[in-house]
Amino acid sequence: MSSVPPLFRSVLIANRGEIAVRVMRTCRDLGIRTVAVFSDADVGAPHVRLADEAYPIGPAAASESYLRADRIIEVAKRTGCDAIHPGYGFLSESADFAESVAAADLVFIGPPAEVQRALGEKTSARRIAREAGVPIAEGTMDPVADEQAAAEVAARVGYPILLKPAGGGGGKGMRVVRGPDELASAWRGATGEATSAFGAPALLVERYLEGARHVEVQLIADQHGAVVALGERDCSIQRRHQKLIEETPGPSVDAQLRGRLVSAATAIAVAAGYVNAGTAEFLVTPDGGFVFLEVNTRLQVEHPVTELVTGLDLVALQLRVAAGERLPFSQREIRSQGAAIECRITAEDAYAEFLPSAGRLGMVRLPAGPGIRVDTGIESGLVVPTEYDPLLAKIVAWGPTRDVAISRLRRALAETVIAGIPTVVPFHQHVLADPDFRAGRYDTSYVARQWHGQTVDLEGTALTAAAVAAVLTQRGRERHAAPADSSAWTQAARADVLR
Amino acid sequence: MRYEVLIGERTVQVEMAADGGVLVDDRAVALETTPLDAGAWTMRLDGMSHEVHLLSRDPLRLWVDGHEVRAGVTDERALVARHTGGRAASGRHELRAPMPGLVKGVHVSEGDEVRPGTPLATLEAMKMENELRAPAAGRITRVAVSAGTKVEAGALLVVIAAG
Repeated sequence: MSSVPPLFRSVLIANRGEIAVRVMRTCRDLGIRTVAVFSDADVGAPHVRLADEAYPIGPAAASESYLRADRIIEVAKRTGCDAIHPGYGFLSESADFAESVAAADLVFIGPPAEVQRALGEKTSARRIAREAGVPIAEGTMDPVADEQAAAEVAARVGYPILLKPAGGGGGKGMRVVRGPDELASAWRGATGEATSAFGAPALLVERYLEGARHVEVQLIADQHGAVVALGERDCSIQRRHQKLIEETPGPSVDAQLRGRLVSAATAIAVAAGYVNAGTAEFLVTPDGGFVFLEVNTRLQVEHPVTELVTGLDLVALQLRVAAGERLPFSQREIRSQGAAIECRITAEDAYAEFLPSAGRLGMVRLPAGPGIRVDTGIESGLVVPTEYDPLLAKIVAWGPTRDVAISRLRRALAETVIAGIPTVVPFHQHVLADPDFRAGRYDTSYVARQWHGQTVDLEGTALTAAAVAAVLTQRGRERHAAPADSSAWTQAARADVLR
Repeated sequence: MRYEVLIGERTVQVEMAADGGVLVDDRAVALETTPLDAGAWTMRLDGMSHEVHLLSRDPLRLWVDGHEVRAGVTDERALVARHTGGRAASGRHELRAPMPGLVKGVHVSEGDEVRPGTPLATLEAMKMENELRAPAAGRITRVAVSAGTKVEAGALLVVIAAG
């Protein structure tokens, strides 16, 4: 291996958090130097320490740091990088950024600007899909002008409808509207979020499919025309259209449906001249029909589940095809083994309608052991900033069967301690214990129907231990709050309890 | 000192005697407690091994053997006060910012009648717009912010008088 020159000399990772760490790990595996960039809020972040070199690019606000294409490219040039990996989010789906990177004589690790343009804009993506013979949801091909125009489309296709930003993906800004009385509030929220997330308020209106599952196909394509699909992922466990749990194979996807989804995804990729990693998203209806949603022209958050069942490293493949290499396999050679499930651990309060949380982390202990992979960007003592996506870590389990993967994931979640700020860990534990989820019976409405903030009842000696710990905490607080009130016997009793 | 401890839905009486003994629901328990770190303990009782972590103080959240529980502690002085002169919760609800962010919109005005779940304000934080809803029915008696206000966690947004 040592005689083979690396694909690139140095790669700048234009991202933060767990995905920056994950990309750097593969770069290190391949002998590629890594350059990190960071905002003022991330000086102490793990991705900064893990990189060979790290440079500040501006204040905490993403618009002044991680979205500053000019500064990022300047750092890449100054440090002798030959490529930039955008991760997901931030600039990953910006065609302008891909173009600027190429113009600076750097390699963009992702699809070229023209592919990003064709697929990133939803209207154009829907046209490509329709022309490739792939079904699309009923609705507008072009953004609607205002609430009144949306109401007219809704009257034509029928409620419920879905409002979604024309300018970007990831579920941000999407709203389901079940009747005319909900339209005003939904329109207000969706246009606001579309503006802050994508810089444009333009919204599309589509008929919303009830009882549908969100199933997506992972694609990888080289610069020589080869396109290979790496199986599907079911990502139906969502709240506010943000995925929380993803798994492969999809529990409801049989060989016949998988074949049709793979064909559709591949047809869209070929029609768009796709290069690098991407994901075609579909909604699958209970009758086995499906419609195309969008193509995410980047590495996906949930890519590890695909890696665990295929044994492939998607970031390594991204680097290889970006360097001009051919895919080292054909569609027929792809083998998938076992099942993999990912839980996204976000800084959101599962007991307060998933409100985002932020602040200083206390003790962080992440799980390990057979079949467990953890991708993380957090550590004990780190401050979780309010400026960015709330994803803290991903806990992923593999098993020879789905049941084994679920058991391992439950064990791993029970090992996980994240103190300091609320997270969604209790939500994941509830879902993985739920008979419907375990039987694979779920769709995109699952979270709204099944999660009401259920708690666990402690029994026996665990209840006693919890009660005593609560009292010790209360006494510690009293000591800090009013030291004068801390009598000698309180100290003595505490010391005895702690013996 | 006696404490009434609420763990989830269960109430447990804990007494820490001056001689160092611990009574739980009036029964002496031989609890062996080993602190691991600030807010982390190994606890052994009747051969059973438990791990407890303090997740947060306010609200009090504990991690016990892999599960998160809410807890509340009331000491005997507060218990006495509650039984002798404590008033029932007043009919006033304050909506406060659950985290720092930007108020994108306020959807009610003073004097408006609201039902539980009525959207009161939209707070943008961590790239998401969060609709903050009325916790109870009532009449809006105060609107403390307007669209465009940057707020810290805990900032007062809206006051509702229960109706």
